[in-house]
Amino acid sequence: MSLQTLKVLEAFLENPTDQLSGAEVHQRCKLASGTLYPILLRLEAAGWFVSRWEAINPSSAGRPRRRLYRLTPTGLKRASDVFASFNRGVLA
Amino acid sequence: MTSERKVEWMDRAAGCLVHYAARRTPEPLSQRLEEEWLADLAERRPGFARLRLGIGCYWATYSIAREQRVAAVAPARTHLAPASVAGFMSENSALFSRRTATFLLVASLHAAVLLGLAVGVGSKFIKSAPPQFVVDQIDKTLPPPIDLPVPPTPDWNTTQIIVPQPDDKLTFEPDPPSVVGDVKETPPETQGGTGPSLPPAVTVNRVQGGPGIGFPSAHDFYPPAAIRRGEQGIATVSACVDARGRLTSDPTIVQSSGSQRLDQGALTLAIAGSGHYLATTENGKPVNSCYAFRIRFDLKN
Repeated sequence: MSLQTLKVLEAFLENPTDQLSGAEVHQRCKLASGTLYPILLRLEAAGWFVSRWEAINPSSAGRPRRRLYRLTPTGLKRASDVFASFNRGVLA
Repeated sequence: MTSERKVEWMDRAAGCLVHYAARRTPEPLSQRLEEEWLADLAERRPGFARLRLGIGCYWATYSIAREQRVAAVAPARTHLAPASVAGFMSENSALFSRRTATFLLVASLHAAVLLGLAVGVGSKFIKSAPPQFVVDQIDKTLPPPIDLPVPPTPDWNTTQIIVPQPDDKLTFEPDPPSVVGDVKETPPETQGGTGPSLPPAVTVNRVQGGPGIGFPSAHDFYPPAAIRRGEQGIATVSACVDARGRLTSDPTIVQSSGSQRLDQGALTLAIAGSGHYLATTENGKPVNSCYAFRIRFDLKN
Protein backbone atom coordinates (compact mmCIF):
# COMPACT_ATOMS: atom_id res chain seq x y z
CA MET A 1 0.00 0.00 0.00
CA SER A 2 1.45 3.26 -1.14
CA LEU A 3 1.92 6.34 0.95
CA GLN A 4 -0.60 8.25 -1.18
CA THR A 5 -3.27 5.60 -0.52
CA LEU A 6 -2.60 5.85 3.20
CA LYS A 7 -3.04 9.62 3.02
CA VAL A 8 -6.44 9.19 1.34
CA LEU A 9 -7.52 6.67 3.96
CA GLU A 10 -6.32 8.95 6.74
CA ALA A 11 -8.45 11.77 5.36
CA PHE A 12 -11.53 9.57 5.53
CA LEU A 13 -10.69 8.13 8.94
CA GLU A 14 -10.74 11.57 10.55
CA ASN A 15 -14.52 11.32 10.43
CA PRO A 16 -15.59 7.99 8.90
CA THR A 17 -19.16 9.04 8.38
CA ASP A 18 -18.29 12.03 6.23
CA GLN A 19 -18.90 12.00 2.52
CA LEU A 20 -16.08 13.70 0.67
CA SER A 21 -15.79 14.79 -2.89
CA GLY A 22 -12.60 14.57 -4.89
CA ALA A 23 -11.96 18.30 -4.41
CA GLU A 24 -12.33 17.98 -0.61
CA VAL A 25 -9.98 15.01 -0.45
CA HIS A 26 -7.51 17.00 -2.52
CA GLN A 27 -7.67 19.85 -0.02
CA ARG A 28 -7.01 17.47 2.88
CA CYS A 29 -4.35 15.28 1.31
CA LYS A 30 -2.71 17.76 -1.05
CA LEU A 31 -2.50 15.03 -3.69
CA ALA A 32 -2.54 15.79 -7.39
CA SER A 33 -5.62 14.79 -9.32
CA GLY A 34 -3.63 12.42 -11.44
CA THR A 35 -2.83 10.42 -8.32
CA LEU A 36 -5.99 10.98 -6.32
CA TYR A 37 -8.69 9.78 -8.72
CA PRO A 38 -7.07 6.45 -9.60
CA ILE A 39 -6.79 5.73 -5.86
CA LEU A 40 -10.42 6.61 -5.25
CA LEU A 41 -11.54 4.36 -8.11
CA ARG A 42 -9.27 1.57 -6.97
CA LEU A 43 -10.54 1.63 -3.38
CA GLU A 44 -14.13 1.83 -4.61
CA ALA A 45 -13.60 -1.17 -6.85
CA ALA A 46 -12.07 -3.00 -3.89
CA GLY A 47 -15.15 -2.28 -1.79
CA TRP A 48 -13.50 0.06 0.68
CA PHE A 49 -15.49 3.04 -0.61
CA VAL A 50 -18.94 3.62 -1.97
CA SER A 51 -19.84 6.67 -3.99
CA ARG A 52 -22.96 8.47 -5.06
CA TRP A 53 -23.93 11.64 -6.87
CA GLU A 54 -24.67 14.75 -4.96
CA ALA A 55 -28.42 15.29 -4.67
CA ILE A 56 -28.73 18.63 -6.44
CA ASN A 57 -30.11 19.88 -9.71
CA PRO A 58 -27.16 21.00 -11.82
CA SER A 59 -29.19 23.46 -13.83
CA SER A 60 -30.62 25.15 -10.77
CA ALA A 61 -27.31 24.98 -8.83
CA GLY A 62 -25.35 26.23 -11.80
CA ARG A 63 -22.60 23.67 -11.41
CA PRO A 64 -22.06 19.96 -12.10
CA ARG A 65 -22.89 17.36 -9.49
CA ARG A 66 -20.14 16.24 -7.27
CA ARG A 67 -19.30 12.58 -6.69
CA LEU A 68 -19.24 11.89 -2.96
CA TYR A 69 -17.20 9.05 -1.48
CA ARG A 70 -17.70 7.36 1.87
CA LEU A 71 -16.01 4.53 3.73
CA THR A 72 -17.87 1.24 3.81
CA PRO A 73 -17.95 -0.77 7.07
CA THR A 74 -15.53 -3.19 5.49
CA GLY A 75 -13.28 -0.37 4.32
CA LEU A 76 -13.41 1.20 7.74
CA LYS A 77 -12.36 -2.04 9.41
CA ARG A 78 -9.58 -2.71 6.91
CA ALA A 79 -8.25 0.81 7.03
CA SER A 80 -8.32 0.72 10.82
CA ASP A 81 -6.43 -2.57 10.75
CA VAL A 82 -3.79 -1.10 8.45
CA PHE A 83 -3.15 1.88 10.69
CA ALA A 84 -3.31 -0.30 13.79
CA SER A 85 -0.61 -2.54 12.33
CA PHE A 86 1.53 0.53 11.74
CA ASN A 87 0.98 1.64 15.32
CA ARG A 88 1.91 -1.80 16.64
CA GLY A 89 5.03 -1.72 14.61
CA VAL A 90 5.98 1.65 15.96
CA LEU A 91 5.16 0.76 19.58
CA ALA A 92 6.95 -2.55 19.38
CA MET B 1 -2.16 39.13 -23.51
CA THR B 2 -3.71 40.42 -20.29
CA SER B 3 -3.91 38.40 -17.14
CA GLU B 4 -7.65 37.93 -17.49
CA ARG B 5 -7.25 36.54 -20.94
CA LYS B 6 -4.53 34.25 -19.64
CA VAL B 7 -6.84 32.93 -16.96
CA GLU B 8 -9.62 32.50 -19.45
CA TRP B 9 -7.29 30.67 -21.80
CA MET B 10 -6.10 28.34 -19.03
CA ASP B 11 -9.68 27.61 -17.97
CA ARG B 12 -10.62 26.67 -21.50
CA ALA B 13 -7.51 24.51 -21.84
CA ALA B 14 -8.31 22.79 -18.55
CA GLY B 15 -11.92 22.07 -19.70
CA CYS B 16 -10.65 20.62 -22.96
CA LEU B 17 -8.14 18.44 -21.13
CA VAL B 18 -10.87 17.12 -18.80
CA HIS B 19 -13.19 16.31 -21.69
CA TYR B 20 -10.43 14.68 -23.67
CA ALA B 21 -9.14 12.70 -20.67
CA ALA B 22 -12.61 11.48 -19.74
CA ARG B 23 -13.20 10.19 -23.25
CA ARG B 24 -9.98 8.19 -23.05
CA THR B 25 -11.21 6.22 -20.06
CA PRO B 26 -13.22 3.01 -20.50
CA GLU B 27 -16.86 3.48 -21.43
CA PRO B 28 -18.55 2.68 -18.09
CA LEU B 29 -16.45 5.37 -16.39
CA SER B 30 -16.26 7.96 -19.15
CA GLN B 31 -19.41 9.97 -18.41
CA ARG B 32 -19.07 9.61 -14.68
CA LEU B 33 -15.49 10.82 -14.57
CA GLU B 34 -16.22 13.71 -16.92
CA GLU B 35 -19.00 15.03 -14.71
CA GLU B 36 -17.00 14.37 -11.55
CA TRP B 37 -13.92 16.12 -12.88
CA LEU B 38 -15.93 19.05 -14.19
CA ALA B 39 -17.46 19.45 -10.73
CA ASP B 40 -13.99 19.38 -9.25
CA LEU B 41 -12.85 21.87 -11.89
CA ALA B 42 -15.65 24.26 -10.91
CA GLU B 43 -14.46 24.25 -7.30
CA ARG B 44 -10.88 25.08 -8.18
CA ARG B 45 -9.65 28.62 -8.49
CA PRO B 46 -9.57 29.91 -12.06
CA GLY B 47 -6.28 29.89 -13.88
CA PHE B 48 -3.33 27.72 -13.12
CA ALA B 49 -5.08 25.53 -10.49
CA ARG B 50 -7.67 24.44 -13.03
CA LEU B 51 -5.02 23.87 -15.68
CA ARG B 52 -3.11 21.70 -13.28
CA LEU B 53 -6.28 19.70 -12.56
CA GLY B 54 -6.79 19.15 -16.26
CA ILE B 55 -3.25 17.89 -16.70
CA GLY B 56 -3.66 15.63 -13.68
CA CYS B 57 -6.85 14.14 -15.05
CA TYR B 58 -5.16 13.49 -18.36
CA TRP B 59 -2.38 11.73 -16.46
CA ALA B 60 -4.90 9.75 -14.40
CA THR B 61 -6.45 8.21 -17.49
CA TYR B 62 -3.32 6.15 -18.03
CA SER B 63 -3.50 4.61 -14.58
CA ILE B 64 -7.24 4.04 -14.78
CA ALA B 65 -7.06 2.41 -18.21
CA ARG B 66 -4.26 0.14 -17.08
CA GLU B 67 -6.11 -0.97 -13.98
CA GLN B 68 -9.22 -1.64 -16.02
CA ARG B 69 -7.23 -3.91 -18.31
CA VAL B 70 -5.83 -5.78 -15.32
CA ALA B 71 -9.33 -6.16 -13.93
CA ALA B 72 -10.54 -7.57 -17.24
CA VAL B 73 -7.74 -10.15 -17.22
CA ALA B 74 -8.76 -11.35 -13.75
CA PRO B 75 -12.54 -11.88 -14.14
CA ALA B 76 -12.86 -14.40 -11.38
CA ARG B 77 -12.06 -11.98 -8.66
CA THR B 78 -13.88 -11.55 -5.45
CA HIS B 79 -15.10 -8.27 -4.16
CA LEU B 80 -12.21 -7.09 -2.11
CA ALA B 81 -8.80 -8.63 -1.85
CA PRO B 82 -8.02 -9.86 -5.36
CA ALA B 83 -8.97 -6.58 -6.96
CA SER B 84 -6.85 -4.55 -4.58
CA VAL B 85 -3.90 -6.83 -5.08
CA ALA B 86 -4.23 -6.59 -8.83
CA GLY B 87 -4.47 -2.84 -8.65
CA PHE B 88 -1.47 -2.37 -6.44
CA MET B 89 0.59 -4.81 -8.42
CA SER B 90 -0.28 -3.11 -11.64
CA GLU B 91 0.82 0.17 -10.17
CA ASN B 92 4.22 -1.15 -9.28
CA SER B 93 5.03 -3.88 -11.76
CA ALA B 94 3.91 -2.66 -15.16
CA LEU B 95 6.47 -2.03 -17.81
CA PHE B 96 5.66 1.66 -18.03
CA SER B 97 4.44 2.33 -14.55
CA ARG B 98 4.57 5.79 -13.08
CA ARG B 99 7.88 5.07 -11.47
CA THR B 100 9.31 3.87 -14.75
CA ALA B 101 7.93 6.85 -16.61
CA THR B 102 9.30 9.22 -14.00
CA PHE B 103 12.67 7.56 -14.17
CA LEU B 104 12.71 7.79 -17.94
CA LEU B 105 11.68 11.43 -17.78
CA VAL B 106 14.44 12.33 -15.33
CA ALA B 107 16.98 10.33 -17.29
CA SER B 108 16.02 12.04 -20.53
CA LEU B 109 16.29 15.44 -18.86
CA HIS B 110 19.79 14.60 -17.65
CA ALA B 111 20.74 13.40 -21.09
CA ALA B 112 19.43 16.62 -22.62
CA VAL B 113 21.41 18.72 -20.19
CA LEU B 114 24.58 16.76 -20.84
CA LEU B 115 24.05 16.99 -24.57
CA GLY B 116 23.55 20.72 -24.29
CA LEU B 117 26.72 21.09 -22.30
CA ALA B 118 28.68 18.97 -24.75
CA VAL B 119 27.41 20.68 -27.90
CA GLY B 120 26.20 24.17 -27.20
CA VAL B 121 27.58 25.46 -23.96
CA GLY B 122 30.81 23.54 -24.28
CA SER B 123 31.72 25.32 -27.49
CA LYS B 124 31.17 28.67 -25.79
CA PHE B 125 33.56 27.68 -23.06
CA ILE B 126 36.10 26.66 -25.64
CA LYS B 127 35.69 29.92 -27.50
CA SER B 128 36.06 31.92 -24.35
CA ALA B 129 39.31 30.24 -23.46
CA PRO B 130 42.23 32.64 -23.11
CA PRO B 131 44.48 32.97 -26.15
CA GLN B 132 47.73 31.14 -26.13
CA PHE B 133 50.87 33.03 -25.39
CA VAL B 134 53.14 33.54 -28.39
CA VAL B 135 56.79 33.59 -27.58
CA ASP B 136 58.99 35.72 -29.82
CA GLN B 137 62.67 34.98 -29.81
CA ILE B 138 64.77 38.08 -30.19
CA ASP B 139 68.06 37.62 -32.05
CA LYS B 140 70.52 39.86 -30.26
CA THR B 141 74.20 39.74 -31.18
CA LEU B 142 76.47 39.85 -28.21
CA PRO B 143 79.58 42.11 -28.31
CA PRO B 144 82.91 40.36 -28.88
CA PRO B 145 84.73 39.31 -25.74
CA ILE B 146 87.35 41.69 -24.41
CA ASP B 147 90.89 40.30 -24.30
CA LEU B 148 92.22 41.27 -20.91
CA PRO B 149 96.00 41.15 -20.34
CA VAL B 150 97.13 38.26 -18.24
CA PRO B 151 98.76 39.51 -15.05
CA PRO B 152 102.34 38.31 -14.51
CA THR B 153 102.71 35.39 -12.20
CA PRO B 154 104.86 36.31 -9.22
CA ASP B 155 107.93 34.18 -8.66
CA TRP B 156 107.68 33.34 -5.00
CA ASN B 157 110.92 31.42 -5.02
CA THR B 158 113.06 34.39 -5.94
CA THR B 159 111.33 36.95 -3.73
CA GLN B 160 113.48 38.10 -0.83
CA ILE B 161 112.28 39.82 2.26
CA ILE B 162 114.85 42.23 3.58
CA VAL B 163 114.67 42.63 7.30
CA PRO B 164 116.73 45.48 8.75
CA GLN B 165 119.21 44.46 11.38
CA PRO B 166 118.65 46.00 14.81
CA ASP B 167 121.27 48.34 16.14
CA ASP B 168 123.33 46.98 18.98
CA LYS B 169 124.07 50.38 20.41
CA LEU B 170 121.42 52.88 21.19
CA THR B 171 122.33 56.55 21.14
CA PHE B 172 120.41 59.13 23.07
CA GLU B 173 120.50 62.81 22.76
CA PRO B 174 121.35 64.13 26.23
CA ASP B 175 119.40 66.99 27.70
CA PRO B 176 121.16 70.33 27.52
CA PRO B 177 123.00 71.03 30.75
CA SER B 178 121.10 73.27 33.07
CA VAL B 179 123.07 76.20 34.35
CA VAL B 180 122.18 77.84 37.61
CA GLY B 181 123.43 81.25 38.28
CA ASP B 182 125.43 82.87 35.60
CA VAL B 183 124.13 82.41 32.18
CA LYS B 184 126.86 82.22 29.73
CA GLU B 185 125.93 82.66 26.16
CA THR B 186 127.93 80.71 23.75
CA PRO B 187 127.89 81.39 20.07
CA PRO B 188 126.12 78.73 18.06
CA GLU B 189 128.33 76.37 16.18
CA THR B 190 127.68 75.99 12.59
CA GLN B 191 128.67 73.20 10.30
CA GLY B 192 129.37 74.47 6.96
CA GLY B 193 127.22 77.49 7.65
CA THR B 194 123.90 75.56 7.17
CA GLY B 195 121.36 74.80 9.92
CA PRO B 196 121.64 74.78 13.69
CA SER B 197 124.27 72.69 15.39
CA LEU B 198 123.28 69.41 17.23
CA PRO B 199 124.56 68.50 20.67
CA PRO B 200 127.25 65.83 20.74
CA ALA B 201 126.03 62.16 20.85
CA VAL B 202 126.33 60.37 24.22
CA THR B 203 127.12 56.61 24.29
CA VAL B 204 125.11 54.55 26.86
CA ASN B 205 126.76 51.44 28.27
CA ARG B 206 123.95 48.94 28.33
CA VAL B 207 124.44 45.52 29.94
CA GLN B 208 121.66 43.05 29.23
CA GLY B 209 120.34 41.04 32.14
CA GLY B 210 119.50 37.35 32.46
CA PRO B 211 118.85 34.62 34.97
CA GLY B 212 120.64 35.51 38.19
CA ILE B 213 121.52 33.92 41.49
CA GLY B 214 118.83 31.66 42.91
CA PHE B 215 117.21 31.11 39.51
CA PRO B 216 115.67 27.62 39.50
CA SER B 217 117.37 24.79 37.73
CA ALA B 218 116.01 23.34 34.55
CA HIS B 219 116.29 19.90 36.06
CA ASP B 220 113.62 20.76 38.63
CA PHE B 221 111.15 21.74 35.90
CA TYR B 222 111.88 18.95 33.47
CA PRO B 223 108.42 17.63 32.48
CA PRO B 224 108.07 13.98 33.55
CA ALA B 225 106.32 13.08 30.30
CA ALA B 226 109.24 14.51 28.36
CA ILE B 227 111.66 12.50 30.52
CA ARG B 228 109.72 9.28 29.79
CA ARG B 229 109.80 10.03 26.11
CA GLY B 230 113.47 11.00 26.18
CA GLU B 231 112.80 14.46 24.81
CA GLN B 232 115.65 16.97 24.94
CA GLY B 233 116.06 20.45 23.53
CA ILE B 234 116.70 24.12 23.99
CA ALA B 235 113.86 26.63 24.32
CA THR B 236 114.44 30.34 23.94
CA VAL B 237 112.23 32.37 26.31
CA SER B 238 111.61 36.09 26.23
CA ALA B 239 111.04 37.79 29.60
CA CYS B 240 110.30 41.38 30.56
CA VAL B 241 111.92 42.25 33.89
CA ASP B 242 111.88 45.34 36.01
CA ALA B 243 114.79 46.91 37.82
CA ARG B 244 114.39 44.51 40.75
CA GLY B 245 114.51 41.41 38.61
CA ARG B 246 110.80 40.61 38.70
CA LEU B 247 108.67 39.75 35.72
CA THR B 248 106.48 42.56 34.48
CA SER B 249 104.53 40.30 32.04
CA ASP B 250 104.18 36.66 31.19
CA PRO B 251 107.18 35.18 29.45
CA THR B 252 106.79 33.87 25.88
CA ILE B 253 108.55 31.28 23.76
CA VAL B 254 110.68 32.96 21.11
CA GLN B 255 112.02 29.76 19.65
CA SER B 256 110.55 26.38 20.33
CA SER B 257 112.58 23.45 21.50
CA GLY B 258 110.66 21.18 19.20
CA SER B 259 108.67 19.71 22.05
CA GLN B 260 105.50 21.29 23.34
CA ARG B 261 106.08 19.70 26.73
CA LEU B 262 109.58 21.15 27.00
CA ASP B 263 108.32 24.59 25.91
CA GLN B 264 105.66 24.48 28.62
CA GLY B 265 108.31 23.45 31.16
CA ALA B 266 110.53 26.35 30.07
CA LEU B 267 107.68 28.85 30.57
CA THR B 268 106.95 27.40 34.00
CA LEU B 269 110.62 27.73 34.88
CA ALA B 270 110.73 31.33 33.65
CA ILE B 271 107.70 32.24 35.77
CA ALA B 272 109.16 30.50 38.81
CA GLY B 273 112.37 32.50 38.45
CA SER B 274 110.65 35.86 38.90
CA GLY B 275 112.64 37.94 41.38
CA HIS B 276 115.83 36.10 40.52
CA TYR B 277 116.48 37.82 37.21
CA LEU B 278 119.34 40.16 36.67
CA ALA B 279 118.02 43.51 35.51
CA THR B 280 119.50 45.16 32.49
CA THR B 281 121.74 48.08 33.40
CA GLU B 282 122.37 51.24 31.50
CA ASN B 283 125.50 52.92 32.61
CA GLY B 284 125.35 50.69 35.66
CA LYS B 285 121.81 51.63 36.54
CA PRO B 286 119.15 48.84 36.45
CA VAL B 287 116.24 49.57 34.13
CA ASN B 288 113.18 47.76 32.89
CA SER B 289 113.87 45.71 29.85
CA CYS B 290 112.89 42.66 27.87
CA TYR B 291 115.41 40.10 26.79
CA ALA B 292 115.61 36.53 25.68
CA PHE B 293 117.55 33.67 27.20
CA ARG B 294 117.88 29.99 26.48
CA ILE B 295 116.86 27.09 28.69
CA ARG B 296 118.40 23.74 27.98
CA PHE B 297 116.71 20.48 28.88
CA ASP B 298 119.33 17.74 28.80
CA LEU B 299 118.83 14.28 30.21
CA LYS B 300 122.53 13.74 30.62
CA ASN B 301 122.76 16.41 33.28
